[in-house]
Amino acid sequence: MSTQDFQEIALRVALSQAIAGKSDEYDRRAQEYASRLTGTKLDKTQVRGLESLACTTDKVSDITDWLKLRVGRDSGRERWAKDGVGRDLFAELDGLRNDAQKIAAALSRTYSLDADQERQVHLRLCREFLKHLAAHFEYLQAEQKR
Amino acid sequence: MNALEYRLIQKEKIAAWSDRWQSEAARFADSHRDLLPRRITNAQLYGLGNVVRSARRYADVEKFIKHQAEKAGRVGRLDVHGYWKDLETALGKLRGEAQTLLKNIPLPVEADSRQALDALHRELASLYVQHLVAHSVYWTPDEEEHKRRER
Repeated sequence: MSTQDFQEIALRVALSQAIAGKSDEYDRRAQEYASRLTGTKLDKTQVRGLESLACTTDKVSDITDWLKLRVGRDSGRERWAKDGVGRDLFAELDGLRNDAQKIAAALSRTYSLDADQERQVHLRLCREFLKHLAAHFEYLQAEQKR
Repeated sequence: MNALEYRLIQKEKIAAWSDRWQSEAARFADSHRDLLPRRITNAQLYGLGNVVRSARRYADVEKFIKHQAEKAGRVGRLDVHGYWKDLETALGKLRGEAQTLLKNIPLPVEADSRQALDALHRELASLYVQHLVAHSVYWTPDEEEHKRRER
């Protein structure tokens, strides 16, 4: 194995560790959003839809555009637009960029990073956040129905 | 570079471009906020989105936008005419962006560079419009909401 191969693997491991650390931090906040969403008329397919999109897209902007459209179309203010939950979630996901910047800055001290790395970390952080959100939402909704 | 490698690298570059340009499209929407949703309706914006997504050549997008501008101009809706003209300019400028992206990705030997440029221009326009529509709808109360407020 060449030094370059070794560096690439080490970077991947370091990235995964940094993202996993942040993911655990997001759990509580994601639970709060899930709790707010259970007070809306949203069902699990819509929340899962957002999670699925995040897992399959290669752009953060696809996630935020999706959310913007859902908030904008909710004229009854009963789903994504209820009590500003969609707007707050949009701001939350956008704000994860700061964490991505910090992770990229910390890793750049040891590894040579791709110019697109920070954006990719941001995308992965959004996925982590939404993964927690969807899980909590489904759990809370099931609890409510009992 | 083979066609598959080219497509993969291009996909990554386009994704990065799209995320970078989301704020630019949002600025365009914000600078025409006064026209939304009465003069430029959500239906028109969704229509634009459909045309851009289904267009095979950039010229089809341009034709649609020119037609919208002409229609508005004929009935004296100068502000709406201006909106479509501004959009035509904004999307037209993306050809330069497409050229820059293409410079950084060597085309596969068998590819036609003019066709590749047009396809990329159309794709960038589609992403720009996606951001534009989402941001326009996001900040604009729809007609129903307007009516409710008026009552």
